Amino acid sequence: MNNLIILQNLVIIPELFLGICIIYLLLYSSIISTHKTYPLIQNLLLKLVILSLIFCMFLLYNDSFLLTDINLFFTNSFILDYLSFFAKITTVIFSICCLIMIQNYIKDHKLNQFEYLIIILISILGFLLLCSANDFLTAYLAIEVQSLSFYIMAAFKKNSSFSVEAGLKYFVLGSFSSALLLFGISLLYGALGTFNFDDINSLFLSLTPGTLGDATLIDLKDINEDNLKTGIFEFEPAMVLFSLVLVLISLFFKLAVAPLHVWSPDVYENSPTSSTIFFAVISKLSILVLLLRIFNISHLHAFFYNWRYFIVGLAVLSVLAGTFAAIEQRKLKSLLAYSSVSHIGYILISFSAGTIEGIQSLYFYIIIYMLAGLCVWSIFLLLRIKAVYQQKANKDLTDLTLLYKSNNFISFCFSTVLFSIAGFPPLIGFFAKLGIFLSAIETSMYFVATIAILTSVISTFYYIRIIKIMYFEKVIVSHLFMPLNFIQSFIIICVFFLLIYLFINPTLLYLLSYKLSLLSFI
Amino acid sequence: MFNYFFFQISFVENYIFFFFSLVLIFSAFSIITVQNPIYSVLFLVLNFLTASGLLFLLECEFLALLFIIIYVGAIAVLFLFVIMMLDLKILSTSKDIFKYLPVGSFIGGAFFLLVTNIILDEFSLNSYFSCSLGLDFVNLYTNWYSNIDYFTDIQAIGQLLYTHYVIQFLIAGIILLLAVLGSVSLTMNNESQQIKKQMFFKQISRNNKNILLF
Repeated sequence: MNNLIILQNLVIIPELFLGICIIYLLLYSSIISTHKTYPLIQNLLLKLVILSLIFCMFLLYNDSFLLTDINLFFTNSFILDYLSFFAKITTVIFSICCLIMIQNYIKDHKLNQFEYLIIILISILGFLLLCSANDFLTAYLAIEVQSLSFYIMAAFKKNSSFSVEAGLKYFVLGSFSSALLLFGISLLYGALGTFNFDDINSLFLSLTPGTLGDATLIDLKDINEDNLKTGIFEFEPAMVLFSLVLVLISLFFKLAVAPLHVWSPDVYENSPTSSTIFFAVISKLSILVLLLRIFNISHLHAFFYNWRYFIVGLAVLSVLAGTFAAIEQRKLKSLLAYSSVSHIGYILISFSAGTIEGIQSLYFYIIIYMLAGLCVWSIFLLLRIKAVYQQKANKDLTDLTLLYKSNNFISFCFSTVLFSIAGFPPLIGFFAKLGIFLSAIETSMYFVATIAILTSVISTFYYIRIIKIMYFEKVIVSHLFMPLNFIQSFIIICVFFLLIYLFINPTLLYLLSYKLSLLSFI
Repeated sequence: MFNYFFFQISFVENYIFFFFSLVLIFSAFSIITVQNPIYSVLFLVLNFLTASGLLFLLECEFLALLFIIIYVGAIAVLFLFVIMMLDLKILSTSKDIFKYLPVGSFIGGAFFLLVTNIILDEFSLNSYFSCSLGLDFVNLYTNWYSNIDYFTDIQAIGQLLYTHYVIQFLIAGIILLLAVLGSVSLTMNNESQQIKKQMFFKQISRNNKNILLF
């Protein structure tokens, strides 16, 4: 493999482009904004950031002709396959949409320091690197890039003590989980002598899931001598298992799975909403990609015979916790945070199924989750109350009373998306949940499927309550909202029609997710 | 001739080693005995410097440089700043050493025994030449390849870092940039330039009685 940056293997060119853009934008804005008159360059810089992301998307799309086989670069530490290609394109498109949405919020709440947008851009760079990381070291560094920038984004509204608290909380807990990840990686390196996913893949290629669960050392040696023909090869399976559990805990923390989800409602609610939309919409996909790379593509799931039930237990727990805690919430933001916890629970159920159909429904669900999340959070950002806006940054549920009278179409969009998230039949969210439950039943997790179905029925309660508040509340006075501009309403309507169109023609998404899931099992 | 020269070098090395060790022990002892906390931190810096000198003698250049950069450059300076900010007066003229003596001596003794055990296992007395103190231990394990094909730590790490792991190196650079950006933007306070305003009630309420306050 090639070791140096040479022109032949510049598949990294989108990331390099984005990195150079970051440095140029930083220089540019620091020179402009320290001019004598201290001009505000936030709006301008936002457009430049969006422009550079659009160019980055074109460069990413340019790589598609390389996808005929799996490309490994930089001593196998950097991969370009269809999974990373898809995840990167999705991340960039969604972050462009989010950046368009946060424009008004930045202006209203006076987040006037230019560093904010550049830090957002750095976090997107971290996601792109994480999508194509092929060893633990690169993955750790990419996670560090994106989570460090998230801590700063959470604490960025300095005049609000809520925001500072959220940033501090996120920083302390998140860096603890990063330390656990690093500990797990070092133990894994001690046990296996490598942390490259490709090498680990070729070590455990012939092992089916769960074969190494209770294996003793001698068993393992036999397996290796028979199947792998690598000669005598000794390591302690318990040590690998322990390090994998540490890695898993850390990644579950980043995904906010149930016992480790406690930070997420606080951080979501207290940090400025322009940061929260990134935490909620974008951050999950690339960490799920890493999870699949560790456990499916590099065949480390061979160690998880008994621990599969551990993951299933966590998934059910997070479905339950997310649903029942969300019923109690009065703030819209923390309600959405708890609902995202329960969605991650559904995703983990299909992850722990371990079949191709399970992985396929995982991809299906995460795409639908991101689409619906983008729509919900952008409506949340764009509904700016006219009267009490300056005093109040957060929204109660009651602020949406009689939304259909003040803005009919947006309330229709909002309720349709909420129906889709809740999983009502004539919408695409129904198919996403159906896939999850079917994959759970196929692997004879009947009990888990029953609990998940019943809980999803309960979860429709709080989604429908929002719709009830928007349409059928018996009050006389309600709020007026600021008008939306063209491009923002255009994006919301696009997502809305996409959710309806995908019901009429779900083949598009099914084909895409099957392709991704087949690649995960090579 | 060459042998003699080599012998001379190792002879000098031994003296430098003893010098650094003595300074190390002296400064470590002074950290816990001096009264002024600032002197104590300065002795800590001296301690780290001499330790990194010892590591240089053992040809662990990378570790030595890390010692200087991280411990001296960051941690000891952080201690110094903390002590300056806390504004400690010299209160305890006589430190209560004996209070911590049992636990401290137990830990120190255990650590000493451990290190002695390792040294006696891994090293042996050289019978061919000895320095004047007679404590010339020689490592049993010698990697002769590394003696022939000499290659320092920093060279090796640098060659790996700039070729095989160049992408990770670049990401680490971005992390450092992010840390600088974040800490500057979070701590810089643009609204702190307070405009001096008239305080009317203070001006009005001034009279001859409350001007001079004792």
